[in-house]
Amino acid sequence: MITELIVAGLIFSACLAIYLDEVVYSIISLACMFVFMAFLYALNGAVFVAVFQIAVGAGTLAVLFLAGEMLSEKPEKEKSLKKIFPVALLAAVLSLLAIFLSVTITPANISSCFSFAEALWNLRVMDVILQGLVIITVALGIAIVLYEREEGES
Amino acid sequence: MDFMILSVTLLAVGIYGLLTKRHLVKVLISIEIIAVAASMNFVLLASSLNRALGETFLVLAFSTDTCVTAIVLALLVITVKKYGTSDIRKLAEIERASDEEQKFLEGE
Repeated sequence: MITELIVAGLIFSACLAIYLDEVVYSIISLACMFVFMAFLYALNGAVFVAVFQIAVGAGTLAVLFLAGEMLSEKPEKEKSLKKIFPVALLAAVLSLLAIFLSVTITPANISSCFSFAEALWNLRVMDVILQGLVIITVALGIAIVLYEREEGES
Repeated sequence: MDFMILSVTLLAVGIYGLLTKRHLVKVLISIEIIAVAASMNFVLLASSLNRALGETFLVLAFSTDTCVTAIVLALLVITVKKYGTSDIRKLAEIERASDEEQKFLEGE
């Protein structure tokens, strides 16, 4: 029952994030979606991923908040609460589809079974290192682009 | 309860937003929803099969996704500062007008 409620909340907040005109409200809905998703992961036994989702989601949302505040213009007229009703209805229908429909999956016969740490540090160690390099390069690249732009303006 | 249907539903919501919304930040939010829908498959299938490899992929995918978001946001801020609007259609119109202006100047 809890899983079904979380799924319904997840779909409703995703629909609201798309539907709402005000960017800041959309980002708040996206935050709710991330939280629901983390709960879903935790309920399915992927606790580490749930924590990671919250941590990364918080960073992403903070940056989105800043950009949303900087770039958004006030919409001409606010959407009334009555107009949210069709979205809630749509979200309820989509949730029912997600809860009651099913697809049969035959699991692949893979004999070896790893723990999370083994899989991350033994099998994917090169990916982790390369990804660290990519993240550092991206951060430096963004800093250089913004610095050069400021230099050009002044 | 089937998480694959949930993932497809979120994907559909994200694609709808991508096709209909004009604000750049809303387009980015739609892309986030699509990315979350795709990565959810890895975790929930991996946890239902009791294998950690899918979760590992997800951790790597999250980092890449955050990098992409950071780059897109930086470009977005620069674009809005340069053109003064965050509406995709207005940006396309500005781009078209500047192209026509350039062609006109080249013709002269």
